[in-house]
Formats: sequence, C-alpha cells, structure tokens
Amino acid sequence: MENILEVKNLSKKYTGFELKNISFELPKGMIMGFIGENGAGKTTTIKAILDIIKNYTGEIKVFGLDNRKDDKKIKEDVGVVLDDMFFPEILIPNDINSIMKDTYKNWDSNLYFKYLSDFDLPKNKQIKTFSKGMRKKLEIATALSHHPKLLILDEPTSGLDPIARNEVIDIFQDFIQNEECSILLSSHITTDLEHIADYITFINNGEILLQKTCDELLGKYGIVKCTESEFKKMDKSDFIKYRKTKYEYEVLVENKKEFSKKYGNNTIDKITLEDLMVLMIKGVK
Amino acid sequence: MEIIISNSSGVPIYEQIKEQIKVKIVSNELQAGELLPSIRTLAKDLRCSVITTKNAYEELVKDGYVRNVPSKGFYVAEVNKEVAHEEQLNKIEGLLDSAVTIAKMNNISKKTMNEMLDILYEEEK
Amino acid sequence: MLGLIKKDLLMIKSNLKILVILLFVYGFMTYQGEMSLLFVLPFMSVMIMISTFSYDTYNKWDAYVCSLPDGRKNSVRAKYLATILLIIATTIIITILSVVISYIQTKVIDFENIFSTIFGAVFATALLQSFMYPSIYKFGVEKARIGIFIVVFGGAIICGIISQFVDFKPLLQALDILENYWMIIFPLAIIVILYLSYKISGCIYKKKEY
Repeated sequence: MENILEVKNLSKKYTGFELKNISFELPKGMIMGFIGENGAGKTTTIKAILDIIKNYTGEIKVFGLDNRKDDKKIKEDVGVVLDDMFFPEILIPNDINSIMKDTYKNWDSNLYFKYLSDFDLPKNKQIKTFSKGMRKKLEIATALSHHPKLLILDEPTSGLDPIARNEVIDIFQDFIQNEECSILLSSHITTDLEHIADYITFINNGEILLQKTCDELLGKYGIVKCTESEFKKMDKSDFIKYRKTKYEYEVLVENKKEFSKKYGNNTIDKITLEDLMVLMIKGVK
Repeated sequence: MEIIISNSSGVPIYEQIKEQIKVKIVSNELQAGELLPSIRTLAKDLRCSVITTKNAYEELVKDGYVRNVPSKGFYVAEVNKEVAHEEQLNKIEGLLDSAVTIAKMNNISKKTMNEMLDILYEEEK
Repeated sequence: MLGLIKKDLLMIKSNLKILVILLFVYGFMTYQGEMSLLFVLPFMSVMIMISTFSYDTYNKWDAYVCSLPDGRKNSVRAKYLATILLIIATTIIITILSVVISYIQTKVIDFENIFSTIFGAVFATALLQSFMYPSIYKFGVEKARIGIFIVVFGGAIICGIISQFVDFKPLLQALDILENYWMIIFPLAIIVILYLSYKISGCIYKKKEY
C-alpha cells in the first residue's frame, strides 16, 4: 500500500517542550486519528507537516514529495482545518470564494456553495457573527472545496453539537470513498475516532506512545478490574499500566484473550480510546 | 442487506460483520455470485473504519465464503453448504462443551440441562 | 497571489462605509478651511492597512496562509501590492478632490501647489509604511504600533532639538536644486523605499513561525 504521508524522526525543540522523533505513515485511502492531551504535540506535528513552523529536524513526505521543497505543489492537494486559525473575521463566506478561486487551481465554487447550503451557513454575513460551530463548518467547507487528496484536520469537530458532528463525519467518510484520499485528524472527542479511524496514533509529551490500527486497539486491549489481592498475583509483564482507584484496580492489558486464559475469571472490560488515554497517561507501571 | 453492529458487546466489529455475512450466505439470503458492497461503501454505511470492513472481507475470503475479483469487488462464493453446516455444528458443540463443563463443576444434572435446552428452544419459537 | 491581494482589498471593502464618510468629512473641512487637511488622507491609508494586519493577527491568518499553495512566499508580496494599490487609489481620490475644491474656492487650479502637497503626503505615507511593515512582521502589530509612535515622536523631538543648534539652510538650498525634478524623484524614492522594505519583510516572514 502506498503512503500518502510519511513523517520520519520529526523533532523540534521549544523552551519547555520538545517533540521527540515522531514517525508515522498514513497509507492511501485511510483515516488516521491523532490523539493526546492538550499540549502533547499534535498541533506542532501538524504545523511541521504544513511548514507553518520552521527549524525542525527529520523528514516529511506528502504524496511522496518533500514538504519543504515541493511545498506549493503539495498544498494544491491538501485541505486544512487548523484550530482557531482562519480568514480574518470581517470577511464574509462570499469573499472566501472569490479569494480561493484565485488561490487553488481546482477550487470548485459550486461545491463550496453546496457545502454552505448543506451546513445552513449564510453567504453574506461577516464571519464574526458566526457561532463557534458555524465557523468550524465554514472551515471544513473551505478545506474540502478544492477536491484535495489529503485532509489535515486539527480538532475539526470541536465546538460542534452531536448532530453536526455526525454530519461532518459522514462527509469525511464520503471523502475516503475515493481510495486515493486520506485524512489525518486530531480530536479530543475520541468517540468520533473510534467509529471511523483506521489507525490511531497516540502522542504524549512530544512522543509517540502508541500506534496501532483502531481495530487492534479496541479489539485486543482491555481493562481488567480487580481487587488488590488479585492484582498482586499478576505478573508485571502481563499488563501495560494500572491505576488504583478507591474501590478497585484498573489494569490495562494488551491482549485480553490471552490475559483471561492465564488468569481466568477476571472481569475484562472492552476498552474505549478515552479509557486508553487516561490509563496510559495517569496510570503507572 | 442488514447488518447490526453492537458497540458494547465486546465482540470486535469485524467479527460481527463477518459472522453476520456468513449466516446470510449459509441461509441463502445472499446468493452465490452476488456482488457485496465495496469495502468503502460498507464502512461508510456501518460507520466503521475501512480497515474493519477490509478485515471482515479478507477473513470471509480466507474461509471460502467470498471471492475477491481484483478491481471488481467481492462476490459471494459457491459455498459447500455441508461444510458450512459442519462449521456451525462445531461451533455449537464448542459452546455446549463449556456449558457442560460449568454444569459438571456445579453438580447440575443432565436432566436439568435438557430441560433448560427445551425451554430455550420453546422460547425461540 | 491574486487571491491574497483580493483578500486585503476585500477587507478594506468591508470597512468602506466608514472610509467614505471620513472622506466626505475631510472634504467638507477642506472646503471650509485649509487645503492641507487633505494631508490627513494618505495617513488614513496607513491606518487602514495596519487594521488589516490587526485582523490577520486576531484570527491567526498568518498560520493559515502557510497552508495555502502560494501562502508563505506570496503573503508579504500581496500585502505590499495591496498597499501600493491603496496608495494609488488614495492619490487619485485626493487629487480629484483637491482640484474640485480648489476650483470651487478660487476658480483657479493651482496644479503645482496641489501636486507638491499630495506628493509630499504620499511620500511621507510610504515612508511610514516602509518602516512599519518590517517591524510588524518582526514584532507583531501591537508592539510595532507603539514602537513606531515612539520613533516618530522621538524623532520629531530630536530633530527639533538639533535644528536649534544646526543651520539647515545650506541643506535646504541644496534640495532646492532638485525642485524641478520632484515629479520624478518622489515616485522613484517611494518605489525604492517600498522595495527595500518589502525585501526586509520577506526575509523576516520567511523564517517566522506561527
């Protein structure tokens, strides 16, 4: 399978924060979910891919091209939603159309206005009169209207109500009906990702903690809930992390089938990405 | 085609898809030679990831229920109904086996077990 | 890049109502009183452009623009071109306004006086913009605004103090020689200064992270 995006050993130093050797690959036709706490490095990674930040080391390839050398060519085919970064808010959606018409070769005004009407967005009102959800929808409409091959979306569903999130996720799934197209999206709302992401990349403190297919994570990993005495019997190598709550131990295991074979009758819960995030970050080994 | 996905059952989604398609094939709801929805369409309709449906189809191909015709799609294969039937029987046997193990551990008589089975069968009707 | 120039012009357009009102107010005041009030207009164009920078910063446009095909490379160029277009437009507008007003007032059109006033004002504007833009790109619009005020007022005070002790007459006399060529010198100077400023801004912007 061909990769649409390759990040190799991406590192970047700030005072007080460091991105350490981030590497991942996104194949064509797939959705990768980028999860992690606020400030974990998701946005920094995305900014490096888009060349918004400079002075990083490592290699980034988009469509097989170097992101710095072939910057212009790449960006013709990338659609972007960035967290809180957009057109100046005194402009109106109509303005965005006339600006983008002269910015992207493939800008499709009809498609853009179709999204606007699907999203119930006014064409003639200044962006500053929009609610947060409306802004997000406008950003998404803008990102999709030049028929991009890769969508890079930083928190595209934040600020959207459940109905709107549903709509947007439908649009994303429509987007990858074309096998040449891929999506990299970061989100706090992990349930969105559980449904549609093919790969999960979990980043914490500037480092990648975990990288798996979503199926494997949700299918194999599990949370064992047990008492202290049961916990004491466990081999340290059989679990990833644990967390002690007031009434029980929560233990994250990598393979719930094998675990239950070895230890028998423990309650093993199916895991959600949220559980996984909390246990990986707050849990201890 | 109806496929019902449960997000809380703990059974991996690809397995749910696989099993339900198998049942439909064995029960002739899906005829041999019929074209299945594409990996991407199915993922969209079921609102799951592409890899999930891809896994399900790949396993179905492996088990001989589905044929992959490159650049055309996935077709329901000519399934040997006896083999498929055998497979289902094996599965039941496995489940009954664990039921019996639990029964024996707890001194539950064969008679009680039979009664339970009768009741369950009646309920189904 | 055309798109990016359009963006700045559309932003100006969205404030157009206020601009037209201001234009009329100034026109009226000029009609009532002194010609030199038209001086103010070019400076207004500076404030208009600065306000586009403020809006850009507020919505983090500079980061977003990097994700567009000709973003980072042409963003600065578009800003300068929009500025030049705005300078040309203001020049045309105030020229017409001055001619009309002066005709109504005196029935004579003193072209030389009008043009020298306007060119002086435009020159000063372009100079101010040339200093401001690189500092905006470097330090951000808020700091640059404060900085430029300090520089302008400080500069004026220092010049005032110096002029107490130094005799500028020879220098002014030297400049008199150029008097006949100002039609060429002013526009040329504006172009050179803006170009230098553009180059500096470009270098700053190229390395900037958002």
